[in-house]
Amino acid sequence: MEKKILIVDDSESIREVVSFTLENAGHEVVKAIDGQDALTYLDGRKYDLIITDLHMPNLNGIELIKRVRTIEEYKFIPILFLTTESQTAKKMEAKEAGATGWIVKPFVPEKLLEAIKKVVR
Amino acid sequence: MEAFKDKFKEEAKELIAELEHMVLKLEGNRANKSIVEEVFRVMHSLKGGSAMFGFSLIDKFTHLLENIYDKIRTGEYQVTDDILDITLNAVDHLRNLIEETPDTVAQLEKENNKFIEQIEIVLSKGALKSDDFKNNSDDDKKVSNHTKTYFVHFEPSSDFFQDGSNPLFLIDDICQLGETLIVPVYSKIPKYEKINPIDCYISWNLLVATDDDINAIMDVFIFTNKRSKVEVAKLSDKNLLAEKSHRKILLETLLKNHADLFEKLSIVVPDLEKAQNGNEQNTQRQRVQSSHSVEQTIASIRVSSEKLDNLINWVSELVTIQAQLSLYTQQNQHIGLAPISEEIEKITRRLRDDVFSIRLIPVSNMLTRFQRLVRELSHELDKDIVFESRGTETELDKNIIEMLADPVMHIIRNSIDHGIEESTEERVKKGKPAKGKILFNAYYSGTNVYIQIIDDGKGIDAEKGIDAEKVRAKAIEKELISPESEISRKELFDFLFLPGFSMAKVVTNLSGRGVGMDVVKRKIADLRGQVEIDSKLGFGTTVTIKLPLTLSIIDGLLVKVDNINMVIPLSSVHKVYEYEHTKIEKAINNLILADDERVPILNLRKYFNMTSPPPPLERVITIEYGDYYIGFTVDEIIGEYQAVLKPLGSAFKEQDFFPGATILGDGTVALVLDSNKLIELFAKTEVKIGN
Repeated sequence: MEKKILIVDDSESIREVVSFTLENAGHEVVKAIDGQDALTYLDGRKYDLIITDLHMPNLNGIELIKRVRTIEEYKFIPILFLTTESQTAKKMEAKEAGATGWIVKPFVPEKLLEAIKKVVR
Repeated sequence: MEAFKDKFKEEAKELIAELEHMVLKLEGNRANKSIVEEVFRVMHSLKGGSAMFGFSLIDKFTHLLENIYDKIRTGEYQVTDDILDITLNAVDHLRNLIEETPDTVAQLEKENNKFIEQIEIVLSKGALKSDDFKNNSDDDKKVSNHTKTYFVHFEPSSDFFQDGSNPLFLIDDICQLGETLIVPVYSKIPKYEKINPIDCYISWNLLVATDDDINAIMDVFIFTNKRSKVEVAKLSDKNLLAEKSHRKILLETLLKNHADLFEKLSIVVPDLEKAQNGNEQNTQRQRVQSSHSVEQTIASIRVSSEKLDNLINWVSELVTIQAQLSLYTQQNQHIGLAPISEEIEKITRRLRDDVFSIRLIPVSNMLTRFQRLVRELSHELDKDIVFESRGTETELDKNIIEMLADPVMHIIRNSIDHGIEESTEERVKKGKPAKGKILFNAYYSGTNVYIQIIDDGKGIDAEKGIDAEKVRAKAIEKELISPESEISRKELFDFLFLPGFSMAKVVTNLSGRGVGMDVVKRKIADLRGQVEIDSKLGFGTTVTIKLPLTLSIIDGLLVKVDNINMVIPLSSVHKVYEYEHTKIEKAINNLILADDERVPILNLRKYFNMTSPPPPLERVITIEYGDYYIGFTVDEIIGEYQAVLKPLGSAFKEQDFFPGATILGDGTVALVLDSNKLIELFAKTEVKIGN
């Protein structure tokens, strides 16, 4: 299953690891450096999934999710966010904003792909 | 993964620098929530990345720090000096950690533990809830060897499938937390003909024994919709699922599916616990609180400096080719070529300016270091000093900023150590504010950037008095001046830049720190810059550094000496005169009269041992050197030229008055002359300037 996935993270190294993993699994990846940047990629193009970090400058992950949900084309797109275990409050907040699920950092490639399989059909 | 690791290292270094900057900013605005948020965000990124790329020490360490700032964020803790000190020390420690190697790991780990201890001491001392803090970190580390048993009742709403959720995934997630005992409840499944295939009828009762806390279980269900029922409760502080016989008892209870299942379970639990030599029973449910964060930084893209260098290189090539095109257009009258060539010239110039400006970064990038220095050194010397900065948006070439940091650090160190008065009383007595001030001021002027370090301390007594006498004595001892000669204020300050005249030895008896102002001057000269001191006794000292905007382009005057092209930096060119060769030849004491001033001449032809006969009319270019002018003799002046500096080959390594060369429009090479260096060299060997 080849999917088109948008990755949003301000950390270049994380961005690279995620895209490397996904591309190896045969997915097509689009990378954005923060929420603001991500919105420029969300111009009607079709994606199967968005993976976003929560803590980012300019426009953080929560705000990004809220904004994405207001765009007609992306109302139902699955959105996963990256988070560390200690942040339960953040998870709730992201959920309320409209996220579909999360991936715990640090992750191993298999976990990441597994999480994606759960939300993308 | 290794490749990503290096990338992360780079990133981490930047994050650490940002952290340092933010913490210093926080010191001045302790109540500012958004700065705390920012500190928290940076720590969080650092933590996330380090966990990802296997820097476990950083992960552990930032986790502790993050906890502190999380509490500050929620208002539980106050920003105290202790916390700031610890965080700043932590910044240094983090810098070491990021460079960890297999050899240093043991040592670093030791330091790490020491640090963690320190943090805990500071927190307990500050009348903060240190117990709370410790518990928290223990929980998160999952080192607590207790496995607890939780009861979970999960009843998905009937429309659970409709938003694409699958309850089995959630059950899977629970299974990953630890040992489980799962009992599905089928009682709600209707008769086959009444089943609606898109509805969910099953619910679950399950027990899970896990090291994680209740939040980990709650987390699993975060994404279930509000209509679904989720109950999580701690059944026991023991692992009730370890023993087979116990599992059986519990399973039987679960299978009965009472309405008040939890209570029923609770009844059996004490017996089971007793069997395990335990007697604690505690039930708790935890609520989740949400917090909000505000984030802001400047958007930018990171590009490797190698790519930038390549880009600049290509633009330099383009500039060269463009110059050739212009020349060709001038020499050959092709109809229509001239406007195209002009257009290309215009675009090339803009492109060049833009590309070169990419390398420019604001001087604010090095301020954090200075702020740290002022903070730490003033503590150490027990002086009360504030550091202020102005014009921090002024931009300079990245390379210049990197090379500039050390000399400026030295100047600031001098100001703190010797400039600012020893005590606040001394300052108050003089009618100055009790707090000493060091101002970092940066501004543009023409094609130069000026950086000033201004202190409002004691100043140097230049007129007479002890300082002046000491400098004089030193200068006489070094045979720089004769005992009779008067030295001006300006000269006195200039002497401070010579080796052996370190401010420390002259102004106070405190020992210097190994590096004198002569080194500062040399380092700044390496950047084609100049440095000057001015001071007024009782009012303070100002050190001014003048720097070129960029190192790779020089606005120069293109000249010819013995058919060799040379570019002299325009910034130091003063005036151009014309003399008959015989006049120069016969000049007394090597001095000629230019605008009624006597100017020493440096005959380039002679200096470089060029043997061909000079033209009957020679040009003399007067070059500014400090407050004096030196005349350079050249054969011919071609005109102004913007030279893109190219390094010379290794054969030219032994000299430093030709820092590079440039390629002219017709493809020939012109040597770029560093007039300051040449004059210095000339002054050492030939004449004494200014006497």
